[in-house]
This record gives sequence, C-alpha cells and structure tokens, in this order.
Amino acid sequence: MTLFDSELAAGADPVLAPGEEPVPAAGTDPVPSRRGGAWRRLRADRSALAALVLVGLLVLVALAAPLLTALEGQDATTFHSQLLDSARGGVPHGAFGGIGADHWLGVEPGTGRDVFARIVYGARVSLGVALAATALELVVGIAIGLAAGLGGPRVDAVAGRVIEIAIAFPSLLLALALLAIVPQSVPRPVLVALAITAVNWGNVARVTRAQAMSLRTRDYVDAARLAGVGPVRIALREILPGLTTPLMVLAALKVPSNIVSEAGLSFLGAGVRPPTPSWGQMLSTSTTWFQTDPAYVIVPGGLLLVTLLAFSLFADGVRRALDPRSTRV
Amino acid sequence: MIWFLVRRLLATVAVLLVMSAIVYGLFYLMPGDPAVLACGKRCGPDQLVVTRHKLGLDQAVYLQYWHFLQGVVVGRDYSSGPDVNHCAAPCLGYSFQSDQPVTNLLLDRLPVSASLTLGALVLALVLGVGAGLLSALRRGTFVERLLTGVTLLGFSTPVFLIGLILLLVFCAWLKVLPFPSYVPLTENPAEWARNLVLPWCALALIEAALFARVARAGTLETLAEDHIRTFRAYGVPERQVVRRHALRGALAPVATITAVELATIIVSAMLTESMFGLPGIGKLAVEASTSVDLPVITGVTLLAGTAVVLANAVADLLHAAIDPRVKLA
Amino acid sequence: MRLRPFVLLGSALLAATSAVAGCGGGSGSGGGAAFDPKTCQGGTLTVLNQGGLGKFDPATLYTSGGGALPSLVYRTLTTRKRVPGQDGTKPVPDLATDLGTPSDNAKTWKYTLRDGLKFEDGTPITSKDVKYGIERSFSPDLPGGAPYLHDWLVDGTGYKGPYKGGDLKSIETPDDKTIVFKLRAPHGDFPYLATATQFAPVPKAKDTGVKYQNAPVSSGPYRVAKYEVGKKLVLVRNPSWSRAVDGQRLACPDRIEVTAGLDATVINQRLSSGSGADAKAITTDTSVGPEQLARVGGDPNLAKRVARGVFGETKYLAFDTTKKPFNDVRVRQAVAYAINRQSVINAIGGSELASPATTFLPDGKAFGQQPYDYFPAGQSGDPAKAKALLAQAGYGSGLTVDLAYPNVDTDGIGPKVAPAVQDALKQAGITVKPKPFSDDDYRNVTGKPSTQPALSLQTWGTDWPAGGPFLIPIFDGRQIITSGGNFNLAQLNDPAVNKEIDRINTITDAAQAAPAWGALDATIGKQALVVPLYHPKTVALFGKDVKNAYVDEWRGWYDIASVSVK
Repeated sequence: MTLFDSELAAGADPVLAPGEEPVPAAGTDPVPSRRGGAWRRLRADRSALAALVLVGLLVLVALAAPLLTALEGQDATTFHSQLLDSARGGVPHGAFGGIGADHWLGVEPGTGRDVFARIVYGARVSLGVALAATALELVVGIAIGLAAGLGGPRVDAVAGRVIEIAIAFPSLLLALALLAIVPQSVPRPVLVALAITAVNWGNVARVTRAQAMSLRTRDYVDAARLAGVGPVRIALREILPGLTTPLMVLAALKVPSNIVSEAGLSFLGAGVRPPTPSWGQMLSTSTTWFQTDPAYVIVPGGLLLVTLLAFSLFADGVRRALDPRSTRV
Repeated sequence: MIWFLVRRLLATVAVLLVMSAIVYGLFYLMPGDPAVLACGKRCGPDQLVVTRHKLGLDQAVYLQYWHFLQGVVVGRDYSSGPDVNHCAAPCLGYSFQSDQPVTNLLLDRLPVSASLTLGALVLALVLGVGAGLLSALRRGTFVERLLTGVTLLGFSTPVFLIGLILLLVFCAWLKVLPFPSYVPLTENPAEWARNLVLPWCALALIEAALFARVARAGTLETLAEDHIRTFRAYGVPERQVVRRHALRGALAPVATITAVELATIIVSAMLTESMFGLPGIGKLAVEASTSVDLPVITGVTLLAGTAVVLANAVADLLHAAIDPRVKLA
Repeated sequence: MRLRPFVLLGSALLAATSAVAGCGGGSGSGGGAAFDPKTCQGGTLTVLNQGGLGKFDPATLYTSGGGALPSLVYRTLTTRKRVPGQDGTKPVPDLATDLGTPSDNAKTWKYTLRDGLKFEDGTPITSKDVKYGIERSFSPDLPGGAPYLHDWLVDGTGYKGPYKGGDLKSIETPDDKTIVFKLRAPHGDFPYLATATQFAPVPKAKDTGVKYQNAPVSSGPYRVAKYEVGKKLVLVRNPSWSRAVDGQRLACPDRIEVTAGLDATVINQRLSSGSGADAKAITTDTSVGPEQLARVGGDPNLAKRVARGVFGETKYLAFDTTKKPFNDVRVRQAVAYAINRQSVINAIGGSELASPATTFLPDGKAFGQQPYDYFPAGQSGDPAKAKALLAQAGYGSGLTVDLAYPNVDTDGIGPKVAPAVQDALKQAGITVKPKPFSDDDYRNVTGKPSTQPALSLQTWGTDWPAGGPFLIPIFDGRQIITSGGNFNLAQLNDPAVNKEIDRINTITDAAQAAPAWGALDATIGKQALVVPLYHPKTVALFGKDVKNAYVDEWRGWYDIASVSVK
C-alpha cells in the first residue's frame, strides 16, 4: 500500500538536489547547513527521539522474542484447549481474553495459543518482512532509476513508462494476485517480502531517476566522464552518493508503509500462514471475535497502531532533520 | 491543444496496452495449468482437453493474448461442443469458479464499490478539507497540533484497524449501528445509508488524512501569496479572505490528489469491503485470489489499472487546463 | 457425498430444542397461532445463502436426498421422508407408488408412477420423461451429478447422453407408467439413490440443453419465476401441483425468494436481528459461527430461534499406507494416539459445532454405527503412548512428515485445523510440515495415487444416510482409481473387505444392512487407516416469524418444503 508515498507524489517533496540553495518556506526559520546538522536536529526533535526509542524497543522485542517467551514460560504455537470455553465457540475462559500471570496478554480464541508469544514472534515477521522489502525495493528501485536516468533517452522512454505504471498500480491488489498464483511451497515470509517489493519499488525508481537526471549534468560528473570513467562507475561513484539524502527519507517512510502492506496481505489471508504468527493475521481472526473477545482486537490492534505511529513519527523526524525546508505537515 | 489531446490519448492507450500485456502475461504464463484450474474439482483427462481447447489454451501465447484483446474490444465466441457462447465486448472471459462472464461479475459488484467509495469520498472531502483549512488558519495553536496528530494517526493506521475499532465501539459496545450488510440504494435508501455508515467512516478517515495534508499545504501556499497579503493589508474581512481564496487554495490540490492517489483509495476500499463483508469488487478480488480464479483476477486488476491510468490522464488534462504554466508539450 | 459439491446440502438435525416443529408461539417471538399444516399457506419466505445457486439443472445438481431448493421444483422417483427425527432418514415414494420392486438379487429395480402427475404446463408426467431426465445427466455437456448412475447402470460408463449417444438400453419404459432399471451389480440402496435430482422428469420437447436450467419445467409445488445464476432464485406456486398428488411437501409459502452470494457473518447478523423481510427468513447453508455462539447462549430470545442438527459427515486424517512411514501400522497408531480432538474442535468453533469422532461412520441409527475407540487419545491426546509406539517403529529420535490440506476453511479441514493437528503431533515428537494446496488443486492432487501426499486432511459426507456410500468409496479396493478422482486414499485392497461389501450390497432391507455396515467399519478401524477427527454439527438461525423450521435428519438442514411464514 502506498499510503505514505503520497507525500512524495504531491505536496511536500523531500527531494532536494545537492548544491541547490534551499529556499526557506513561509514561516520557517532560516536553514543551517543541511547534512552536517541532520543528526543534531534529529536529537533536538523530541517527538522523533521518542519515536526512535520506541522503534528501538520494538526491534529489540523482535530480536529477543525467544528470550521473552522463555521468560513468560510459553511459546507461540502450543494449543491450550483447556483454557477455552468450547461450548461458547472457543472464547478464552476468564475476563479480557484470559489475561493472567501465565498468559500475560491472554490466549487466542479458538486455539488457546499464547497471545504475548504470538505478538513478539509476530513482530519478527512484521518488522522482518517490512525491512527486507524496504531493502529490496531500494536495490531494485535504484537500479532501474539509475538505468532510466543515465541510460539515455531510449532506455528512459521504456523504463520511465514502466516506472509510471508501477507507481500508478493499486499495489496491494497486484501483490494479492501475485501471491495467489505463485506455488504454495515457497517459504511464505520470503514470498510476501518479494511480492511487496514487486509492487512498491516504483517511487524509489522515480526519485532516483529524477535525481540522477539532474546530477548527470553537474560539472563534477562531466569532469569524470571526460577523464574516461566508465558509466557504471560514474553511476556508483558520482551519482549514487548524491542520492543518499532523499533515499534515506524515502526508506524511513517505506518501513511503516511496508508494515501496513504485510499486515494488509495477512489480513486478506494472502500473507504468512498459521502457525507462523503475524499481526495482520491476528487482526483478521479478530474480526470474527470482536463481539465476544474484544481483548483480542485491542491487543494486536493497539500494538500495530503504536508501531506504525512510532515508525511514521521517526520517518517524519528524519525528513525534517535531513530536509529542514519541508514544513511540518 | 488538439495535438496535445491526441498525443495524451495515444500515450494513455499505449500505457493501457503495455499494462494489459503485463497483467495477462503474469497470470496466464505462470507455472501451473489454467485449464486444470478452470476445469474444477472433478475433472477427468477428457474434460481437461475440452476445457483447454475451449479456452484456447492450446494456441500460441501471442494468439491467446490477441484473442483476449479482441474479446475486450469486440467480444469473442467460446465454443463447447455444439453450443457457441458469445461473450459480448468488453469480454474478460468466464470465471473459473462460477462460469459467469467476468464483465457481469464486475458490473454486479460495481454498485457496492461505488456506494462505498463515493460516499466515503464526500465524507472525506468535508472532513479533510475542513481539517486542512482549520489547521492552516490556526497555525501554531493547540488546534493545529491536535489536527496534525490526528492526521498522522489516520495516515498511519490501516483501514481495517480503523474498521475494527469502529465495529467494536459502535456495533459491539454502543449497539447503535448494525454490522454492515449491503442494501441496494434502489431498494431502501435509509437502510442503504445506515448499513454503510461504518464502512464510509473507516474509509473516509483514511482519505481525509490525505486530503487534510494537501489542503493544508495548498491553503498555506495561497495565503502566502502577495495579493492575499495585500487584501489583508487593505482590511478585507478575514472571513472573505478565507471564503474567496483560502478555500480555493485548499480545494485545488485535493482534486489532483484524488486522481493521483486513486490507487491508494482503491486498495483501501478493497480492504474495507473485505473487513465488513461488503460484496464489492474488492471483495471479489480477494475471493478470486483465494480460489485462483485467473480471469476474475485479471479482470479486476485490469479494471483497477485502467481506472488509475485514466484518472491520471484526466488529472493531467485538468491541470493543464487550469494552470497555464504547464506547457502543452 | 464425494465432495460436498452442492452447498444446499450441509449438515443435519439432532436435538432441536424448543425451536423444533409445531411449537407455535414458542418458536417465534412474534407469537401468532401455532403451526397447522392445513392453514399454513401464504406469505413470502426469504432464503439467505452463501452459495448454492451456481446451477439449477436437475442433471448437474449434486444433492443429498434431492436438496432443499431443487426438491421444491423437481420431484423424483423417491424422496426423503419429510418429518423431524430419526424417521427423516428414510426414503419414501414420491413420483413412484412405492420404493421399487427389486428382482434378480437387487440387480433389477422396477417402479410404477402414481396417477394424476402433471408438469407445470399441464402435460402428464410419464416414465419416458423420467428416463430422459436420467439420460441427459450422462451428457458431457451437463456434468456435475453424483457418479453412482454411471457406475451402477449396465453400459453406464460408456454412454454419452441422449444428444450424442441415443437411447440408454438399461432403462426400460414398457409403458407410460413403468420404468425398469438394470444394474451391473446388486445395489440394495437403489431407493436412496432415486431421491437424486437426476431422477426428476424432463420433457424432451422442452429440453434446451445447457440453457434448460433458466426455465426448467417444474414437477413440484413451485415453478421458477426468475433465476439469475449465482445470485437470485424466485419460486412461485405451480398451479398444476396439489397436495393430493404429493404426500411429502407441505409447500406453505406462496413465494420463495432466494438470495445467494452473501457472507456468513452477514447472513447470521440479518437472521438474528430479523428486521423487515428478514423476520421471515431462513438459510439453507450457513451455520451460526463461533462468534455468535456466545450470544445465542446468553440470549433466550435468540436461543429459541436456533435449530440444531447433524449431517452424516466425518473429518479425518488420511494415510497412504503404501508410503513411508505410514506403511508401518505402529506409526499410524502413534498418530491416532497423539491427536488432540479438543483443540481441533475448538479451532473450528467449539463443542456446539462439532463432536469428537473415533469411528469413521457418523453416529445415528441409519449408519449402523458401532462405537469403538481402539487408540484412545482422550480429549487432548496421549503423547506418551504415541512416543512409545514410534520408538518401537524405529523413530525414537523423532519423525518429520508433510501434512497436506486445502488453503480454505470451507470444508473444515483447512488452515484452522491443520495447526491443531501439527501441534498435537509435535507433543509426540512428530514434526509436521504444513503443505497447503489451493482448493481446486487439492482434489486433483489427493485423488491421484501417483501425486497423493502420504498424510492429508480429508472430509467425507454421505450421499444418503446409510453406511454404504460412506464406506465403499473409501475402503473398497476395487474403487482405487489410478487416473484421478480416487478416494481410497489408504490404498486398501483387502479381499475380505471387498467380499463383505458385496454381501451387504445385496441386502435390500436398510434395517438389516445398517448393522452390517457398522460392523464392517469397526473391523476396518483396527488397521488405523484413517484417524477420525470430528463430526460437524449444524446450529442454524431462523427469522422470528418462521414456523415449523425443523432440521431434517437426512440432510442436516431445514426442509423448506415444511417451513411456514404465515
């Protein structure tokens, strides 16, 4: 899903060509030198810092999933049929979805699996898939974007069109269709990451292409070319470094967007499969239980919300720090 | 102007052709035999041969695609034994699952999707433009910060999570709204609206966040323009400034963003339909993915892609018509 | 039922509480007079379904006992008895005067039509129309019906239907009232088979091939006023029909409007709120989900509007006994001991929607079930016993197996059940690797011995309430089909079993045949060829103005022919 890409498509464009003098927008302070002050600005940004701490915490939780579940004394896949009220459709015994000392966040209706364990292992899937997809999107997008931006008008005519189509397409719909037709035997998290990449690399390519086109006419690039440096080397040595700033912002925005994509696909039943836990999958199940076991909606839903907010706030902070020209929107 | 139109039209057709080839190729050239899928659960070897021939899968790939295009443009005939079924243009083939023409399936589902999307758009326009305008006019106040926060929340939250929360609150706890079940507008307008309130709200909150951002940016830009400052300096009442100019500044980019972000809106609508069990095109896509109903998947994907491409073309034209700075090149 | 092909047949009745027949004001909170078949006529009944309107041709429908909606339009030689309770599992004459006269050791069956039968256009129904209806179901253009006629009738396998194949010699119509069937082998169950819609009369002059379903000629109480494939079916009264010529169908509503393509959740929400036309609504294919069970339990008004029942159906784990490691009976027994039926049942909605199964035959007198539990796993499995057996078999250090299942939950053997099985086997040291298949692919893969996975989740429902259609396709060695469409997944070819099946098939008295099937099931069960998991149960809601909504024990669903909305 391209919720976040809209910021790039319209309105506040974080892309700033190196060497250009940033023009202060109405109402913002005069801008100090950009790159050097980025980290300082980020540190001074309280909401971004808080978000960063949260993000770090979530990553830590995902990494330490086995440790945390060991601490709780549960695991993510064991069924606890005795904890469920079978006559009432399999809702957990006890209030708030069976929350207690043994099961910190209660148990899953229908299966009795430990919700806490599934949440922390689900974090691995959600974050893992999102980060892997982001990295892959960057690789694919940069490659195609550089080819379009530097490969001459013919290459650009084709690549440019493909990029436009890739961006315009309803990505989740295509990912859903792709996941339906691929063989069922390939490991699911890998497939999901690949599907998300396949439909979301477009805006990375677009930003790269635009940036490369503007950089390619710079003097230092001309100088390199005249000195006989090969085109690939120019792309990697001279152009790519100039892309760091806009791509870092884009990458930061892409992580939460990809978390949403993974959750959406799992919600639609096309993501990872049980018994592998995922937040989207838990929310999908909870649509049938929202009346009888609201705790099962609130726990994974709340967590997903907090995660997305943290990543979005952080991405916002990154953008403000790297590109202070942009206004707070 | 005429040349511009013709060229834009040709480009759009070219994009549609490329897109249809990609989509058709993706789904029909995948490993696995579409004939097996089409033939269904109880399919003997004889029936398989008949099915393969009936669908034209025994022909060369480019011929298959050609026939598919023919079907879309002028319709095509499917012969099974003595009977010939004519599938009128735009023919997208027959569903493997229900043996219904895909075009009919899409048309049947269209009113649901249209009811959902248009209703939500109206609601989102009111909410989004209102919020964007307010936050632009109340810069630096608590109202602005609150609206920014809410917008970010709406931006970060997947639509199915908002939907679940709405269900939990209004359907399970307050019991003021029913679990949505689509009632055609022509049958009972009051019930139609009552049942769609929750899905509308869920979808509208997502879209409103988008609108609010661009509306705010548009308003700020307009208010910063010299003539507004002049008006204010001359003592034109603030109300008039807002009504005459700020509102225009807020609305103009919203029209563009709707076209540009149609892909996102389509995806959100698909998730909303699945979440509330509304029998729209998005739900059809999800069902078709689960059952690997290739013609339906292809049909929905093409429809969505076409809508996006056309919307972008229209947006370009509008933009060109409104903004004289855009060269009609 | 080989594959739950037609959604109209679902699951069946057992202990309907106060919701059962004739409890008048009790069954509907709206009150009104008690149900009386004499004055029940009138009103419009709404049917809210998920599926089931994909086809309506009597040749292509695959129903148990003629189905719910089809049997309102298509009368058949015999039909199921329209009463609640155990008697509902019996066939009774419909178009015919009796259940048929067997001769030649049940290889020949003769039927005589009753007097006064007419199609909706007033023309009399003859035995030739019945024969023609059966013949056209052999046409490759009209596939989908139950395979029994092809297998049973002399020359049935090669016949291609009346359009290309001419006349089917093994069905004789010496006069307009008489029809005689010649079978290849004895089949005491023929009166059960004759309830299928393929036994409905079709006038040759009105046959329009694949388009016949759009305007079928009715022989039952209702005719088709409007049919939109997959979406809508409107039935109105057939003026040529009367109760005088039909002893089974009450046909109370004047009009029946069926809507298909609805979500299960939506159907249950609409039935429970019951506003407007939904007060006179029922469903013929949607059980209450786990999400509503808790509410039904807590709301006495809602509890009154629930009918419960069972359909003869078993969900089970199937082994391929020719493949490692399941060629070793101890491994199969270990799996049987390890299984946790409680967690499987919770996964599909709890004890209201399923009961644990230890026998392959479902319970109920009609099946002749003889209870057994050779490998007692208790409620939650006996991993210790399983581990011991595995050690004996040489798998003391653990074992890894693949588990195949369809990727949808529609049959109750999908992504919900598989993890429960996986977890139970894990406790016994068996590592299960999930292998999901798309629903369509699944039957193709499991039905071909060369591609069949060694361990898979399966479902079997009955085409009619008797042991034969339950045991024969699964355990008869001569039913192993190598080209595809095989259901004997164990690949069992035991001469003793085959011989016993042949013997029971010659019994024409169902009361005698039932215990014999039960005993055969109990014998086969010792080999641990399958691990029965559960028998599903139906819990279905009906609108508050619906009366006489009982669940028939043959099909496990409301019989629309008996429901009243007046």
